[in-house]
Amino acid sequence: MEVFFQALVNGLLRSGLYALTSIGLALSVGVLGIVNFAHGEFLMLGAYLGVFLFLIFGLDPLLSLPLAALALFLLGMLLYRCTIKYVLDAPEINQMLLTFGISVFLQNLALILWSGDPRAINSTYRSLTLHFAGVNAGMGRFLTFVIAFSLLIALYLVLTRTRAGKAMRAVSQSRDGAGLVGIKVQRVYLYTFGVAAALAGMAGVMLSMVLYAQPAVGLEFTLKAFCIVVMAGLGNIGGVIWASLLLGVAESMVGTFLPQGSGWSDGVFFILILVVLIFRSRGVGQWFAH
Amino acid sequence: MVRALKYYAFWGLPGAGILALALAPLVADPYLLHILILILMSATMALSWDLLIRTGQLSLAHAGFFGLGAYAAALTYSQLGFSWWLSFLAAVLAGGLAALGLGVITLRLHGMYFAIGTLAFAEVLRTVALQVNFTGGAVGVTLPAIFGGDRVAAYFLVVTIFLICILASVLLQRSKWGLAFQAIRARQAVAEVLGVNTIKAKLAAFVISSIFPSLVGAFYIHYVTYIIPYEAFSLNTSVTALVMAVFGGIYSTAGPVIGAVVLKILEEYLKSVIVYGYTVIYGLILALVILFMPNGLLGVMRRAAGGGRAQQIFRWAGGRKRAETPD
Repeated sequence: MEVFFQALVNGLLRSGLYALTSIGLALSVGVLGIVNFAHGEFLMLGAYLGVFLFLIFGLDPLLSLPLAALALFLLGMLLYRCTIKYVLDAPEINQMLLTFGISVFLQNLALILWSGDPRAINSTYRSLTLHFAGVNAGMGRFLTFVIAFSLLIALYLVLTRTRAGKAMRAVSQSRDGAGLVGIKVQRVYLYTFGVAAALAGMAGVMLSMVLYAQPAVGLEFTLKAFCIVVMAGLGNIGGVIWASLLLGVAESMVGTFLPQGSGWSDGVFFILILVVLIFRSRGVGQWFAH
Repeated sequence: MVRALKYYAFWGLPGAGILALALAPLVADPYLLHILILILMSATMALSWDLLIRTGQLSLAHAGFFGLGAYAAALTYSQLGFSWWLSFLAAVLAGGLAALGLGVITLRLHGMYFAIGTLAFAEVLRTVALQVNFTGGAVGVTLPAIFGGDRVAAYFLVVTIFLICILASVLLQRSKWGLAFQAIRARQAVAEVLGVNTIKAKLAAFVISSIFPSLVGAFYIHYVTYIIPYEAFSLNTSVTALVMAVFGGIYSTAGPVIGAVVLKILEEYLKSVIVYGYTVIYGLILALVILFMPNGLLGVMRRAAGGGRAQQIFRWAGGRKRAETPD
């Protein structure tokens, strides 16, 4: 039973990063209508940023969070201005191919610049452990969870309470309608893409804090984030959180209770995607169909 | 005049191509032959990927089917004692059935589900190959070289696979299926109203398009003699196939082949400069092509030719004008 609770806690803690990454993807799919295959690459870049800020300046990963957010916000906007903007009205195939090309480019650029070896931060958060009722939780993972969900709450408040957030939601509902009431749609797109990248970048810094930075890590998170977005249904922040918790816990359970489980847990997201596609195909299909 | 030209384009060009392919081993040294084999494998991968995009579906599973074919051939050959051609048949069956299963689930949905579903499929196959026992895990599998290491014989085998793929492409393009595919990618709802069974057509395209990477995978393991899961199911396999097709010009027979020839030669050169991460060039090319020449090399050439004789040849080569997609 203790093992079960430990697995449960591990899964819950893991889901924080998933939620933070998926929200960004959900924003770019929901508001811009772009399936961004390069979304995980923002996370990968954030992770490397965290590693290098720590190695070169000895900066605490928690302090590099805002820096990474700013850097990725700017990078996201740059990418939007230079590439995404020009395919907004192109066939969906072209949009997917473009973001996929960007993803391949960034991933291999990282491989050339920083090699394929995993790099980790040896911060104090790794060694500290919290004990509660017979269950252990690494300090880093715990902080990751808390920060991720604080950011999600902040994002929720921004989306529901501020003019900027309301503009984003209006654009996601109807681009033309939002334009008619005077919302500058292009600017909303620009900022939304930046915010999505910034959220992934912060998730990346925290990833380097608890796991490691590696060029291929982005793809893994893109796939898992997409799985979560599909499970949640579009425009549904609460749904993203529940779906993240489900994926995190399912992976943790498979990793704990299946023989050779840690290898199999990488495949859990695929089973979830298939199950969701089979059972929710109608509902989700309507959400995504333009 | 045009009639005569058409006639020569129809029979002359492919005839000359086949003759060149048949005579190549006479003049090529072993290294050049090896490069030719690699190019033909890439061309088959790119062209078979194009078969599916003609229905408007973006597949990222080519690596999955490549690896599946390689493992199916290797395991049936080494564990079950199949002969080489039976092991190729096993690869075709494995690829075709997997495509059927995956297609039934994902092809009913909007395009992006299909893209992500296929990408996830390829990634998960690697996990499976690493985890289960009979695949040899991370160590991979090793086979004796096909035809006792006779490179010329191997060359003719890959030429055969390539020509079958060309034939499939040309036949699909010229039949009513080609029109059905075009209608589906222009607008699926309209295609349905016109009486096209869109699910069936997309499924057929997916199965046919997936058989070829399985065949190439089977050939790869027999020719290169060993494979590991990270290589068999490498995302790079899907990336190179699709970038070659997009670069050359999709929705055509000639485009992907031209793209494969150009990019494979470039890749062989780049590999000597950058060992890891040479795929970076594929990402860059893909992004640039989509932004600046979405119809690929073929589109550029067609525009430069502007009509007349060159256009006739391109039209023969299957390079139809791209359907306008308003959405």
